[in-house]
Amino acid sequence: MRHPILFFCLTLCMSPALNAQLATPRFEDGTVNLGAMRGETGHWNTGVGNLSENFVEMDGAYLINPEEIDKVAPFRPWAKKIVQERLESLGRDDPHPRCMPNGGPRQFHTPWGMEIVHDRGQDRILIMSGGANRSWREIWMDGRAHPDLDDYTATFFGHSVGHWEGDTLLVDTVGFNERFWFARRPSGMPHTVQLHLMEKISRPDHDTLHYEVTIDDPGAYTRPWTASWDVPWSEFHMTEYFCQDNNVDLEHIVGPQ
Amino acid sequence: MHALVRTFLLFAATALCPLTVSSHHSFPAQYDADKPITLSGYLIKLEWRNPHVYFYLEVETEDDWEEWAFEMGSPIAMERNGWNKNSVEVGDILEVSGSLARDGSNLVNASSVVLADSGRRLFAGSSQDEQTSR
Repeated sequence: MRHPILFFCLTLCMSPALNAQLATPRFEDGTVNLGAMRGETGHWNTGVGNLSENFVEMDGAYLINPEEIDKVAPFRPWAKKIVQERLESLGRDDPHPRCMPNGGPRQFHTPWGMEIVHDRGQDRILIMSGGANRSWREIWMDGRAHPDLDDYTATFFGHSVGHWEGDTLLVDTVGFNERFWFARRPSGMPHTVQLHLMEKISRPDHDTLHYEVTIDDPGAYTRPWTASWDVPWSEFHMTEYFCQDNNVDLEHIVGPQ
Repeated sequence: MHALVRTFLLFAATALCPLTVSSHHSFPAQYDADKPITLSGYLIKLEWRNPHVYFYLEVETEDDWEEWAFEMGSPIAMERNGWNKNSVEVGDILEVSGSLARDGSNLVNASSVVLADSGRRLFAGSSQDEQTSR
């Protein structure tokens, strides 16, 4: 080994992989626990993963080769045009730095973490964001149906119902508003109020959350499409963070000059 | 794996490996990585708050002083890597390198902060580092 220090560092950086043998935590009844176990500190270390149907090389939230945009999703023409404009303007108009909630798949890759809490008393699962405006979402596990969307006020996180199929949590969500960009990577992915999400959330081992989402939005995409990524576990406590605290950047977010 | 060993490995990985921090806004929408700048001045204010640590320097010009603002990563990233609000004091002389703001204001995204008296490097990481943030 010509660079033992580098090797040591890389090995340590990959230490979550060394923990991959740790078993998926479960409740006494055998149900998978998607959160921290009793007395355990930790959270899901979001900030990774691309919402893309196929692999595209990216620099952060931006495509290395903009010509690959059609690999990301089956856009309708208007949707492709708007995501290209948002990418070209370098994310200048993203609602996120205005501290708006990050609904849909964006919650699973917005930095500063996410906790999943099984609220068994209320028969629901809460997904709580550590970053952005520290908002949270609820998934009803009590068998209820979605409300009549004609009477439902569309929201940032929509209306979610879930159930278990084996060790995988299946979540069905409708009722989104259009006041957020529903992905961080790539930046600027559009959606409409017709957005219907079908998510599969599993924990193949203690340190890995596997997230798969199928996007069915005939307003923005020509057919349903699917993306997935793994979110690693962090043993840090999910420290308090509010985007609103000292958000002095806004006046300086000007985009290309 | 023994819990103690596992904890040590995770701690060591965090302590030794390159810091990754996350910006809550698009880096390139606010800063121009092709406009690097290095400035030195007296620390006049430190804001250890989210979404970004900000600090302010009085920088001497040819015939006057001017105030510059510097953006870092979140306090979360800083504290997980051993820094805190007491790592610097008002009056310290800091040498800072980073990228200029696109809007022409006296604002820099700091990527390197060095305490002039000791040469100690502080806050090894900027909100540009974490590619996921861009």
